[in-house]
Amino acid sequence: MQSIKKAFLPVFIFARTGMRRSFRDKTALFFVFLFPLIFLFIFGGIFSKTGGVTFKVALVNQSNSDFSRQFVKQLESNKVFKVDAAAGSLDQAKEKMSRGQLDAAIVLPSDFGVPKGQAYPRGQAKVYYTQNSQSAAQTLTSVLDAVFVGVNGKFVKVDTPFTVTSEQLNTRSLKPFDYTFSGLLGFSIIGLGIFGPVNVFPELKKQGVLRRLHTTPLKVWQYFIANILTQAGVGIISILLQFIVAMTVFHLHLAGNIFELALFIVLGIVTIFGVGMAIGGWAKDVNQAAPLSNIVVFPMIFLSGTFFPRYLMPTWLQKVSNFLPLTPVIDGVRLIATEGKHLTALGPQLGLMLAWTIVIYFIAFRVFRWE
Amino acid sequence: MFCVKLLNTLTEKWYLMGSMAKHMVEVRNLTKKYDDKVAVNGISFEVNKGEIFGILGPNGAGKTTTLEMIETIRDIDGGTITVDGVDVAKHPQEVKYIIGVQPQSPAFMDKVKLTEHLEQLASAYGSRVNAKQLLDEVGLTEKANAYVENLSGGQKQRFSIVASLVHQPQVFFMDEPTTGLDPQARRNLWDLIRETRDKGVTILLTTHYLEEAEMLCDRVAIMDNGNIIALDTPKNLIKQLLARGFKKTQHVEQANLEDVFIDLTGKELRD
Repeated sequence: MQSIKKAFLPVFIFARTGMRRSFRDKTALFFVFLFPLIFLFIFGGIFSKTGGVTFKVALVNQSNSDFSRQFVKQLESNKVFKVDAAAGSLDQAKEKMSRGQLDAAIVLPSDFGVPKGQAYPRGQAKVYYTQNSQSAAQTLTSVLDAVFVGVNGKFVKVDTPFTVTSEQLNTRSLKPFDYTFSGLLGFSIIGLGIFGPVNVFPELKKQGVLRRLHTTPLKVWQYFIANILTQAGVGIISILLQFIVAMTVFHLHLAGNIFELALFIVLGIVTIFGVGMAIGGWAKDVNQAAPLSNIVVFPMIFLSGTFFPRYLMPTWLQKVSNFLPLTPVIDGVRLIATEGKHLTALGPQLGLMLAWTIVIYFIAFRVFRWE
Repeated sequence: MFCVKLLNTLTEKWYLMGSMAKHMVEVRNLTKKYDDKVAVNGISFEVNKGEIFGILGPNGAGKTTTLEMIETIRDIDGGTITVDGVDVAKHPQEVKYIIGVQPQSPAFMDKVKLTEHLEQLASAYGSRVNAKQLLDEVGLTEKANAYVENLSGGQKQRFSIVASLVHQPQVFFMDEPTTGLDPQARRNLWDLIRETRDKGVTILLTTHYLEEAEMLCDRVAIMDNGNIIALDTPKNLIKQLLARGFKKTQHVEQANLEDVFIDLTGKELRD
């Protein structure tokens, strides 16, 4: 008991010092805490606009009829259309469309809504679109079509034997942001677990800090565990911050249990940190560490589905990427955060992570150099 | 049966403690090769208990390599080293408890307080220390909460010594301890090294400064190209040189430029 306590004394003291140091180092503070938040705001800003499909359109009304005015008002209040008030003429709309700022332009010609001697008004709206917005224009046309079917029905009673209705099944579905946030968490885990040690350890070697430690009885496993604890502690705080921002600013919907997710993320950091330890512990200097970490990290980020779903990849690539160390981490975070799965249901992911942890740390121990 | 086991453990402990060892450090036919280059060429020497032993020599003579092999951090290609009777190659972990090492550069992490450094290093030996008291002893009381990167050169060196002695080793290795220090800081460090020796710690150091070796060391070994070419007390080495018929142009100086410098600027330590 006494000897166990003695063996873990340096682990505890080194981890405590490491934690304190992380909070004193302004550069580390930026990269560990602020950098992920900046990412969060960028991606959150892109993906948080939800509530279904919207079209940015220009509405050019060339008609003076009451009907056209009312029709415009209705379209403007429709959530599907985002009417750009600045594009009042067709020429302005065309210019904006060519820059990709508008999906389409809806033109109501001068005779739109004029009765023309009949009992009710009539007219034909025209949708202009560019090559790049074909699918948007098609959807838009059918939406307008549906609107006109409703309008027509008010003027002319038509019998409709066949109709279709739709009903929403689940109360909440996956928003793009929810999916992206899981990817961002994975990205933070990589940042903490790989980029951290890959930069820090060669620097400590350069300063001779590790050489000094090498002359003490400190063992590699004690130093490893102390570093894992520091990294996991810092990681949890950083990820907690991201959660707070994601939930308050971007209304993140977390399907699973937050404590299970936290535990899973810690396990993920431990696994991925092994990769960083192996590279940083092996490299003699930054020049050796940087290229190797880039070769390992960047393919892994994309192949493991951090930002793009893996089902978009060809099948053979999916099969290969199944076995990358980051894949079970990303999958697991996503399963808990967006599908509400429990840790008990993540057997395959946890198993693969355990296998990788053993392999990676075995390598890391073997290749570690104090100087 | 139990008695035999106990006896074995005791003798093992006895052996490890090495109280029987005649010399603090014994080096026998030590060899180190880097690829084809011989860095240390089968050298032998002893360091007596309680002495200050200096290794002198030009750059690339093999001083640091020799020191690093004794310090357990470089593999030994040939020969043996024992520290207080313990074989370095066979029991490096035990040797690490007996030795204290001061690297050439201070080699401390930034953004860590002095007290935290000492606690951290002590924990590596499985012990706890009164960090404040240790800092008192070298006049760094007021810097307890400072970071190493904010200390002056002399303060850094003094702190480095305390840090290396945190586990009360029996032998202390210093690699070029006074390089880059001003005369005041250098004198202060000499005093500190002598005080450390007076506490019973054997000291093995390397240096470029010959007057430093002459003033500080009980015995010196001069190395060149991986060989020890002379080993004796500074006095004897000079005597031998004179006996070989060496003559220096005689002009007895009453003082040298360093004396002028110290007289003008004072002995007081500048931090």
